Amino acid sequence: MSDSHGIDRRAFVKSAVAIGGAAALSACLDRGTEIDVPRGPEDPTAAFPERQHAWNAALPTTDAGNNHHPRHRVLLALDYGEGTPTEAERETVEAALAGVERAYERSAAGLLLTISYSPYYFDRFDADLPESVDLPEPRALSAFEDPAADDADAIVHLASDHGEVVMGAEEALKGELDELNGVPQPDAALTDAFSVRERRTGFIGDGLPAENQDVSGVPDDGPVPEDAPLYMGFESAFEGNQPTEDRVTIREGPFAGGTTQQLSTLTLNLTQWYEQDTREQRVSKMFCPHHAANNVVEDAGENLGTDPRMDDCGDPMETARSEGVVGHSQKMVDVREDDAPIILRRDFDSTDGDRAGVHFLSLQRTISDFVTTREAMNGEEIDSDSAVGQRTNNGILQYITTVRRGNFLVPPRSLRALPPARPDADVAEVAERAEVADA
Amino acid sequence: MRERSRRAFLGGVGAAGVGGLAGCLGFELESGSREPALVENRPDAVYRPTHTEGMAMAGVVSDGGYSCALTYSYPHRFWTVTGDDTTQVEVGADDALHLMPVVWHSETGVVPSDVNPSVDVTRDGESVVDGLNPWPMLAQQMGFHFGDNVELPEQGEYTVTVSVGAGGDRRTGSLAETERAEFEFTLDYQRSELRELPFQDVPEARQGTLGAAEPMEMEMVPLMRAPASDDLPGTVRGTTESGDAQFVVTTLEDATPFGGDEGQGYLAVSPRTPYNRFPLPQLSLSGTLSRDGETTFDGYLNEWLDPDLGIHYGAVVDGVEGGDELTITVDTPPQLSRHEGYETAFMNLPAATLTL
Ligand code: HEM
Repeated sequence: MSDSHGIDRRAFVKSAVAIGGAAALSACLDRGTEIDVPRGPEDPTAAFPERQHAWNAALPTTDAGNNHHPRHRVLLALDYGEGTPTEAERETVEAALAGVERAYERSAAGLLLTISYSPYYFDRFDADLPESVDLPEPRALSAFEDPAADDADAIVHLASDHGEVVMGAEEALKGELDELNGVPQPDAALTDAFSVRERRTGFIGDGLPAENQDVSGVPDDGPVPEDAPLYMGFESAFEGNQPTEDRVTIREGPFAGGTTQQLSTLTLNLTQWYEQDTREQRVSKMFCPHHAANNVVEDAGENLGTDPRMDDCGDPMETARSEGVVGHSQKMVDVREDDAPIILRRDFDSTDGDRAGVHFLSLQRTISDFVTTREAMNGEEIDSDSAVGQRTNNGILQYITTVRRGNFLVPPRSLRALPPARPDADVAEVAERAEVADA
Repeated sequence: MRERSRRAFLGGVGAAGVGGLAGCLGFELESGSREPALVENRPDAVYRPTHTEGMAMAGVVSDGGYSCALTYSYPHRFWTVTGDDTTQVEVGADDALHLMPVVWHSETGVVPSDVNPSVDVTRDGESVVDGLNPWPMLAQQMGFHFGDNVELPEQGEYTVTVSVGAGGDRRTGSLAETERAEFEFTLDYQRSELRELPFQDVPEARQGTLGAAEPMEMEMVPLMRAPASDDLPGTVRGTTESGDAQFVVTTLEDATPFGGDEGQGYLAVSPRTPYNRFPLPQLSLSGTLSRDGETTFDGYLNEWLDPDLGIHYGAVVDGVEGGDELTITVDTPPQLSRHEGYETAFMNLPAATLTL
């Protein structure tokens, strides 16, 4: 295939991830120069951390001093079907996951992945999840949203700087490839145990939102700044406004070392944001009025380095009362513990459904930590006690709609393949049965 | 059915018939809207705009204790307000119409200021606009409402869905009994229809003078005015002014509907526009009461919705006596987008006092 259509390769890779499938992958591989991604270890389990979500150590640091986020993403929403998993199925799932881990090194240039399970998945077991895991079914978190429940049984999150890598891993997990990055793949496939309900895709990082702005929700004249990492034009995850992985990790019980994942699908309507708001309004609504008045934020905010300087914003209620507007991140500063938020944001933008959207993916020790944060973002008290409206001048609420919410458990690696609800009890039961058999 | 209500609605702009107004069109709609130039030297007050407009309506639907009229007009300029700043929004080249979902509480006619309608537009099942949250606005012909200019790709029928969430906590009586609601309409976008909408130039000598265009009376849609001061419940204590805004003050003996105890009183302030008596939501107001130089109350006056007081601001107080001094402080001007004639008003609002 030649470039005679004038589509540059980068643009093509991006849309290939969104399109997906074996054909898109092979077109993509045929077309470009081979990408050179180191392979993973022979025995990933021996080499990789118990925390599936321990990505930070594998991510490079940007010039500004923040974690770099893998640029291309696929979320595979999986259904298990009826009944409870067998040991054979667990082995199959583990083998399939380990196959792609052997193919690509565990890094942003290679492949990072997690698999997580919903409360609907755990419902099939007689036992409940242990109390050390806070994983309710999702619900609406504001008076003005009406989200669908994300009731997939499991979500596989694939992340890489190379579109080819996430696509390759996806195809291999579906059992479509004998070999990936020169590494033979097992016969086992995720699709032996699951069916793929839906694939969701996305991207984050300088330039990608601008390249992908020809979707509904973004005005036609291409207002997204060339180098913005996200559609709304600003850096989001600064070192200084993310918690550590420790803070979001479950500490006790059989799932210690795991975390919970909140995954919402947000749609963006940026016509007002780009055509009716000024830059100053955008900065005050995203950061805070102080930052707008004092030109604290340049372009997407690289000049902030690792610290969005939330301390300078002032108390959100006072700002709301005196300025009539309150910033998105400003509202959530009160929720901080030890001067850091309690949810770890790993969200990214999306063109799914040809619609500008966000897969808002965050990790936290308990889903309640997310709910507390999201309630702060609703700013209900600010709305009722000041000139700030339910959505108007209330951070970025005017521009986003929550269409779906889901809660998932990201188990520790050793339990990542179709875990039971009570691994501890199961172990005890197995031991008991063994004793009975012995007797 | 839909046709009839729309026609009735067109009558709004006064005596002249629709046909007779065709010649009044100040601009050509085929190529988007070209509004007349703004008045020069606009006063920092409510002023008469360059023109008045008619509107069309796609219908009225009720759900969850609310009713909603989907009204629209040709696209036009307006001003957003963030803090003390106003920003003029020009009509975009592809804007098809100015869409105004007017939601009111069916029983009381109160247009709630604590919910923000959301709008989705589809055509043949395909999404055209989704997740649009129109701005809260203030217009001389309509008062408080929500609206925005929207782009539509072509003429024809669209399905428009408007939804509102459950109301806030500061409501009394039946206003507190609403539920999340959804309203569906069919909107037939035809440029010829928009062209037929009344558009009347205000005589040049009157443009920019102090005053306001007449509110449009609409059949089936209540026009929400603040209650006349004689109609307010309680002991009406008088009216004070700040900038162009008027504050009517009343006190009620029973504060229980507003979260107080039986022995406590309720101090209510009803801010409204001059001329048209439209309520002014989305202000930050505070009040101080003093008696013989001693402060008896000092705090926020919070926005409430009440069937008799309408949109107003109030606080539970430990008793008010004739002769008490009230100071009302405007901490933030109304965070409402403005239509022409209101964009310079209600921005600079000094403290106002009243002896009760
Ligand atoms: C379209 C959706 C969103 C966008 C574009 C966005 C953007 C941003 C940006 C640019 C920042 C950094 C600004 C700063 O730190 O000053 C930020 C911070 C933050 N966002 Fe969001 N955000 C979105 C949705 C959400 C949601 C749904 C949540 C979850 C409740 C959330 C939680 C946070 C938190 C906790 C912070 C850090 C607050 C702190 O500094 O303490 N964001 N967001």
